Amino acid sequence: MQALPPAVTFPAAAPAAAGKPVIRFIEVGLSYGQRRILEGIDLDIWRGEFVSIVGPSGCGKTTLLRLIAGLARKDEGQVFYNGADVREPSPDVAVVFQDYSKALLPWRTASGNVALALEAMNVPRKEWADRIGSLLDLMGLFKDRDKLPGQMSGGMQQRLQIARCLAQEPKVLLMDEPFGALDAITRQSLQDEVLRIVAERKVTAFFVTHDLEEAIYLGDRVVGMAANPGRIAKSFVVDLPKPRDQLTTREHPRFLAMRHDLFSFIKHG
Amino acid sequence: MRANQPVIAPSRMSQGFDPRNLVLPVVVFAIAEVLALAYVPADSFSLAAPHDVAVELVRHLADGTLMLATAQTLGAALSGLGLGGGLGLVFGVVLGLSPAADRLMSVTVETLRPIPPAALIPLSLLVYGFGLRMELAIIAFTTMWPVLVLTRAAIRETEPGLIEVARVLRLSAWRTATRIVLPGAVPRIFVAFRLAAAISLVVAVTVEVVANPRGLGYGMMLAAQSLHPAISFAFLVWIAIVGWCFNWSLVWLERQFFARRGAE
Amino acid sequence: MNAVARSLWLAGSLGVAAGFVAVWHAVSAAGLVSPVFLPPPAAVGRALVNGFTNGDMLANLAATVARVFGGWLLASLLGIVLGVIIGISSRARIYVAPSLEAIRPLPVSALVPIFIGLLGFTEQMVLAVIAFGALWPTLLSTVHGFGAVEPRLYEVCRSLRLGRWEVIRKIALPSAMPDILAGMRVGLTVSLILVVVAEILGSREGVGYSILLAQRSYQAADIFAGIFLLGCVGYASAGLINIAEKRLIYWRR
Repeated sequence: MQALPPAVTFPAAAPAAAGKPVIRFIEVGLSYGQRRILEGIDLDIWRGEFVSIVGPSGCGKTTLLRLIAGLARKDEGQVFYNGADVREPSPDVAVVFQDYSKALLPWRTASGNVALALEAMNVPRKEWADRIGSLLDLMGLFKDRDKLPGQMSGGMQQRLQIARCLAQEPKVLLMDEPFGALDAITRQSLQDEVLRIVAERKVTAFFVTHDLEEAIYLGDRVVGMAANPGRIAKSFVVDLPKPRDQLTTREHPRFLAMRHDLFSFIKHG
Repeated sequence: MRANQPVIAPSRMSQGFDPRNLVLPVVVFAIAEVLALAYVPADSFSLAAPHDVAVELVRHLADGTLMLATAQTLGAALSGLGLGGGLGLVFGVVLGLSPAADRLMSVTVETLRPIPPAALIPLSLLVYGFGLRMELAIIAFTTMWPVLVLTRAAIRETEPGLIEVARVLRLSAWRTATRIVLPGAVPRIFVAFRLAAAISLVVAVTVEVVANPRGLGYGMMLAAQSLHPAISFAFLVWIAIVGWCFNWSLVWLERQFFARRGAE
Repeated sequence: MNAVARSLWLAGSLGVAAGFVAVWHAVSAAGLVSPVFLPPPAAVGRALVNGFTNGDMLANLAATVARVFGGWLLASLLGIVLGVIIGISSRARIYVAPSLEAIRPLPVSALVPIFIGLLGFTEQMVLAVIAFGALWPTLLSTVHGFGAVEPRLYEVCRSLRLGRWEVIRKIALPSAMPDILAGMRVGLTVSLILVVVAEILGSREGVGYSILLAQRSYQAADIFAGIFLLGCVGYASAGLINIAEKRLIYWRR
């Protein structure tokens, strides 16, 4: 299937970590009528891992994310979260949607939007102020806490959505092309913030993107998908040093080699 | 285009026909029939059994009473709409094209517009007496406002990019109005007329119920006042059917119109 | 546009309206139209003043306003509750909505004779007519508003595991609020029309009834005074809705 041999060889999968995977796909398949969305998906994701999913549009990468979130159905196979079959959304799993402007309540201020997650979790009201304050502070939105989403820039709105997700105190953070609609500068600073937060809070991250460099820059592992039917066609570990840095990491020879390899995979299948 | 005007959209609560839709009306009629047979005396002044209503409906349909009344009511509604809609269209275009005229007329318009049309019935009666003219005057007054307001808005909200195109092409004001602004406003003006048409029927029936001795509303009122509940319910059912068909044809017309334009 | 320009335009606009009144005065002073139909503006003003000082205009106005708002509030409440039920329940959409859809185009004033037959010339009759007639715009716009809630927000709620009632209260109702208020605005207009119809046909007080009396005794000035008052009620209630919209949907530009 591969048109070009890989420029460099990479380890094919994550080193077998101790214990059971947090998320496990076994032979998952899904069709919409005649169209085969997913076929034979097998994927294990380990605790604390940052997995980037890349692939052409229509390859089912967002569907994969929605399956973990408990927002989509499947026809075949199983999806496990912590050893249990996923049937509905779990409080441990938070989703950052791409269209931040549609995922926020336009009639609530920044604080109010974060509060929605606390209400859903039945957090006692007296804890709200502290938790909202520290989350908005973490995302650099403290001074904007009384602004409505309509008064914020796209980058600020996406920070706010991340803050609301973190208010859930999730163990898994699912992100669906979260920076796709942002300008390059904002995207880079949010990439670094996400890396920092994920590392500090030791959450497992599942990051869907179509930006190859972003996938490599953020990921511990990159999973490449192909379309028609949607399937996993490539998976490799990103053995770049941490913490990552927008300048040095992106100029690292290994980074360039992986980028080259991934690019030719996407282009030639 | 429609996102900003929630009420204008002919929002339907249900879609397509389903046999289960009929369960509620059938049950309600059955209960009404049973209750009427059990508790309503045949000479009741206010209630009638559904089967009596059905008999009266058929009888008045057969002898032409309902058809004549329907023709009178619909005729008044549509000619009133022509009059009021025409005036509303002219004023709406003028006020839409000229912001100065709009600002100068604003107090006058905002003072006259909230007058409830029913309040004009006695005045119109005083001026014109009974008959078609007094009904037309009120229907025209009522239908003029929605057409005026929506036409004005449709023209005001012409895509600014199109206006810039006109300026780049150095079109004259007249040509800009006739080639760019008005054609763009036509779909919404059409919607305005559909709304006004629905209003015209309601107002026609209202005028007839309240005062004017002609049409469906009067027939209904006469039957109620002469204590023939079965007849007045038969008129009510027929008015409901006419109202439904009228609205249905308006929506159908609108769909044809938009299908032709390929819009939406 | 700055404040000065705006007040200049307002002054101009008031001037134009005053001009129309002047023309009206000239027409009736010149005897172009019989004063039986068109009384001079001054006579209408006198009729208003008389009505408030030695007549029962204030009582009539109070009765009408109370009926309009009572009926309208009742209608809005019914409309919102029914709209929410139809908006969230597919069963209600199948069994109830089509029947409501079928009776919606019925001109409500045709119901007044029936309601009079059932309830007599009573206050309940007036309220029932208004409540029944003014309920439709709010009902429809509530259903529409619930249908137009951003689907992504529902996903956010599912992912946060919010309960059904919480979703209605925190997501769907606020999101549908612009539609609901737009429907209530139309409902208020309908209420104002129906109150006059009900008062003319079946009441012994209210501004509508006073207009009817004036017409029967050929007192054109009193008719105009009554129409003017009803116009004021319409204008004021539209203003109230504007204020409510500003306060309740502050988040929309």
